[in-house]
Amino acid sequence: MKNFVCVIFVMFATLAVAQVQGHLDVRTTVQKEEVVVNDAGEAEKRLVPAEVVVPGESVFYTITFTNVSAEPADNVVITNPIAEDLMYVEGSAFGPGMDILFSVDGGETFAAANELTVVEDGEVRNAEAADFTHVRWVMQNDLEVGAQGTARFAAVLE
Amino acid sequence: METANSEFASVFAWMRRISLLCLCCALSSPVGAVGTAVGTIIENTAVVSYDLAGTPLTLQSNTTTLAVAERVDVTVTLQSAQTPVAPGETGSALLFTVTNTGNGTETFQLSIDSLIAGDDFDPTPAVPGIYFDTDGSGDFNGGDQSYAPGTNDPDLLADESISIFIVNDIPAGVANGQTGRSELIATSATGAGVPGTVYAGLGDGGLNAVIGSTGGEALDTGEYLVSDVLVSVVKSQLVSDPFGGTEPVPGATLTYTIVVNVINAGTASASILRDVIPTFSTYVPNSITLNGGAISDLADTDDGEFDTSGAPTVVVRLGDLTLASGPQEVVFQAVID
Repeated sequence: MKNFVCVIFVMFATLAVAQVQGHLDVRTTVQKEEVVVNDAGEAEKRLVPAEVVVPGESVFYTITFTNVSAEPADNVVITNPIAEDLMYVEGSAFGPGMDILFSVDGGETFAAANELTVVEDGEVRNAEAADFTHVRWVMQNDLEVGAQGTARFAAVLE
Repeated sequence: METANSEFASVFAWMRRISLLCLCCALSSPVGAVGTAVGTIIENTAVVSYDLAGTPLTLQSNTTTLAVAERVDVTVTLQSAQTPVAPGETGSALLFTVTNTGNGTETFQLSIDSLIAGDDFDPTPAVPGIYFDTDGSGDFNGGDQSYAPGTNDPDLLADESISIFIVNDIPAGVANGQTGRSELIATSATGAGVPGTVYAGLGDGGLNAVIGSTGGEALDTGEYLVSDVLVSVVKSQLVSDPFGGTEPVPGATLTYTIVVNVINAGTASASILRDVIPTFSTYVPNSITLNGGAISDLADTDDGEFDTSGAPTVVVRLGDLTLASGPQEVVFQAVID
């Protein structure tokens, strides 16, 4: 038990280190909802860091990226796989100034949600949230020097 | 500061929108589905590609890690149909299935409650009142082991089920047609409570256990029906001798008529009439009728046969009989040897 706690501690210590790798500073966080009672005695939902989850619980991924280089970055594309045990929450992907695309083939090809189809029992049908394997955000404009972008999505633990 | 505020506000607007979406997901997810196994680690890394001064580049984000904790859920499902009992009957069993619908291994405590509202009488739990279907027969019998709370509480793997009997005695004073209910309750040994309740460190592998949508406790209710059904059987015979008279002499034909009647409420299930041909007489082949319709002597798909495997016997299957069925008339013939 003691060892386990130590492993967790080391893991989060690692996460806390900023991932500055050259031109863009890219960070991912995962959160979940917690219901708290505010000063007025009302139940209020807030997002807290997710470390442990149970089946049926929703988690919220946020990817932030900042241009820390001296030049604008263009063709900025963020791709995030949806883990095998997670199911994408339909309509949850969000990113100001970005087009949102999905993959149903393990990240080989990407298209808008309503353009994707899958073959099931020999029949072609429209893809559903459960079919998505990756989410992709494509920035419409350049990421200027010092500018920050945010991409988010939610998923449910199966 | 203004930018930060608006960013903050947009996060919460997004959260509210997603909360609604998630609620829909939760409601539509299949009941009883077992989720991702306890201890599963879910990692996530985003990849960013971009061009800088015409050079394509790629970066990875940090990797986030989620550990899957135990969700405690259970269901109890009655397997027995409404069970007919007689007044004063002892040891009448109801069969249930208890299923661990959580994602970890869990121990369950079982209890019986026979003081249920909405019925006509309270069955009395036998002592002990709970048994495992040890031999897997689905029928309560001497080979089934009794349950002792705290001693042999069943441990179930995720998605595993176990068959359990609850056993009651029926009071002597109950009347025909009355019902009595009894229920089996299964409670997680880790704990039960409002869905979302966290039992820190009590889950598999020392992770948290979180109470799922079933509250970590489940029950189902079975029902006994007093079926003290009364059946009357009246047999009569006509003799017709070879000389046009009614003397029971050798060669005379005996025509037997048997009338079966249910005379109170209740059902006589799968009723079968068996009548042995008297000694010193011989059955007349193909003479059986039921309510005027012929029944062949062969053991085939009709409602009866002439059974010669032991003492020669007329067999007629009358099925489920109630007061509403009316009189069932079986006729057959024999000749005096």
